[in-house]
Amino acid sequence: MWRILHVCAIVALIASAAYVYSVKYQTIYADEQLVKTRHQIDKERDAINLLRAEYAHLVRPDRLQELADKQLDMQPLALAQIVKADDLPDRQPKVDSIGRKLESLGLIAESASPSAGVVGGTPPVR
Amino acid sequence: MAAPSLEAAEVGPAKRRWARARAALGALFSSRLDKSGGRIRLIAFVMFAAYAAVAGKLVDLGLAHDPPQMLKLDADQAVSGARPDLLDRNGAILATDVKTMSVFAEPRRIIDKDEAVELITAVLPDVDAKELRERLGSKKGFVWVKRQVTPKEQQEIFHLGLPGVGFLPENKRVYPNGPLAAHVIGFVDKDNVGIAGMEKYLDQQSLTDPHVAGFVVDPAALKPVRLSLDLDATHALRDELVAGMARFKAKAAAGAILEVNTGEVIALESLPDFDPNDPADFNKDPTRINRMNVGVYEMGSTFKALSIAMALDAGKVTLNSRIDARESLRYGHFTIHDFHATHRVLTVPEVFTHSSNIGTARMALMVGVEAHQAFLKKMGELDRMRTELPESAEPLVPKRWGELNTMTIAFGQGLNVAPLQAMMAVAALVNGGELMTPTFLPRDEAAALAVSHRVVSAQTSESMRYLMRSNATHGSAGLANVPGYYVGGKTGTADKIVNGHYSQDKVLTTFMAIAPADKPKYLYMAMYDEPQGLPEDGGYHTAAWNAGRTVGRLIERVEPLEGAPPADHFPDQPFPLLARLGLGGDADRMGKE
Repeated sequence: MWRILHVCAIVALIASAAYVYSVKYQTIYADEQLVKTRHQIDKERDAINLLRAEYAHLVRPDRLQELADKQLDMQPLALAQIVKADDLPDRQPKVDSIGRKLESLGLIAESASPSAGVVGGTPPVR
Repeated sequence: MAAPSLEAAEVGPAKRRWARARAALGALFSSRLDKSGGRIRLIAFVMFAAYAAVAGKLVDLGLAHDPPQMLKLDADQAVSGARPDLLDRNGAILATDVKTMSVFAEPRRIIDKDEAVELITAVLPDVDAKELRERLGSKKGFVWVKRQVTPKEQQEIFHLGLPGVGFLPENKRVYPNGPLAAHVIGFVDKDNVGIAGMEKYLDQQSLTDPHVAGFVVDPAALKPVRLSLDLDATHALRDELVAGMARFKAKAAAGAILEVNTGEVIALESLPDFDPNDPADFNKDPTRINRMNVGVYEMGSTFKALSIAMALDAGKVTLNSRIDARESLRYGHFTIHDFHATHRVLTVPEVFTHSSNIGTARMALMVGVEAHQAFLKKMGELDRMRTELPESAEPLVPKRWGELNTMTIAFGQGLNVAPLQAMMAVAALVNGGELMTPTFLPRDEAAALAVSHRVVSAQTSESMRYLMRSNATHGSAGLANVPGYYVGGKTGTADKIVNGHYSQDKVLTTFMAIAPADKPKYLYMAMYDEPQGLPEDGGYHTAAWNAGRTVGRLIERVEPLEGAPPADHFPDQPFPLLARLGLGGDADRMGKE
């Protein structure tokens, strides 16, 4: 009887020791992972910072101006080219001006394609 | 028998010693009470020895310098601290930190110093061998070998495998825009301590001092600092000034854009400038000062705006008053001439548009010497102006200020002020009369009004806007009269003093313009030092041809950037106060006729 109890106690002892050990090991592991991740975050943050600086360096206005002057066939914006959105004319109703012209010339019957109406018609899509 | 007895005598004490040792051991392990006295003494002695050893070790530890700890402290002191990013008003980066590796050494841990020097200089050829040997020979626990090495250099040093040589990450300040706005941003030294411009200002605020003892600033905790500058506008300003300086072969150029209602500096440039990434660049050349803030100049005719505003505000003249400019004004053996002489009686607006020295001098005399001094003092032109920038300059004020001084200062000779200071005054004249010190940090109108004070009445301010507008339509500011913007402006050409005399061909030209003149938002200024006249401009080197033209181009570029599209029609009633008084009339009248 006592012997069984002793064996049980010893087994329980070993089991709890093993459990404690594993918990401890997991904690250490998690801790290491945490430090590693923090480290990586720092590294990434530094890298982001570096990239931001590099980006700012690449899009600095004098470089962009130089590139635009060299690569783009464009002229500096003239004040006359600036128009307010409100000042833009409204969209005109869609007009088939070619069709009208043909009609006025009396040629419409010859050139009419089956689906094309006179006004606003589009050529059939094949 | 002698021998055995001798033997017995020899054996006797040995036996006795053995017996005594056995008794002592026996006493140690015996449980008899009468023997416990000795045992307790023995235990007490052993315990005492053990505690003494612990205490001794503690004292030893306390006295000893712990090398790794010392290293950390030294390194913390030496490593460049983190600084907050500097951003422009729209969030574009003006200055930021990047991490770099620096090589350090612990001289005490280096075994063969000569060999170490040899190996290190082989990898880092730009390190001076002699100086490095000296540094490694020092008693310090920590010395830098080279700051901010490249990853490749770091690898090579690492592969040398030298004991006592290591790496530390450091913050290196970079200015991605190079020389753009360099005079405002300033720069830092090798330890990331600000030594000029806004960088120094930040350190003076002590919020960001990177070397507060034992306190390392966490870079993530630093909030970026936003400045009032606009990167794109600054670029436009610098671009135009660089082009103008080359075109007019000027010695130097400077310019700024000021928000007149908040006092924010939107852009500020002074040429020649420098690259803050390479601060040595700045120290090489004394001409690279910030001319807007540190240089003081006779502002020339731009100052007439102040004189006329003073006369108007004091009620000595109105816009309809007439000033006699028929003849040159004599004072003692001095004679004041007009550059564009009209030889007739001029109205006040005509004095302004013809830039009449005689007329302005007469108006200043009406006000009087003392009132003139008081007015300029009120406008902040006689004292050092202090902005956030640590660099500033005291104006050069004449020691004895008589009537003649008042007359010459009225048209911009004899008083040297910093151009930004003059801009502050003109901004106050056009913004409704509130004088506010320019700032390089964002500020809204309410905050600006809280620190400003009224210097002229709203009506005087409106008169000044009217005068500047009429100068753009039928005066010297025509080249800046950009179509689509209701521009007003004033030229200033100051003869430079060469060998104690005013020189005719060496001039300092300034131009100030406001847009729009009915409700100004920005005050533009450009300045050239000794510009040359161009043949296509008829050889004129006066302000209208160089500074005026630059400002015109600048308005054309910057106004759309700042969200002000060109207007297709100008305000019907730009100057309501004047119209109610029946004064002024239409500033654009001459242009339309």
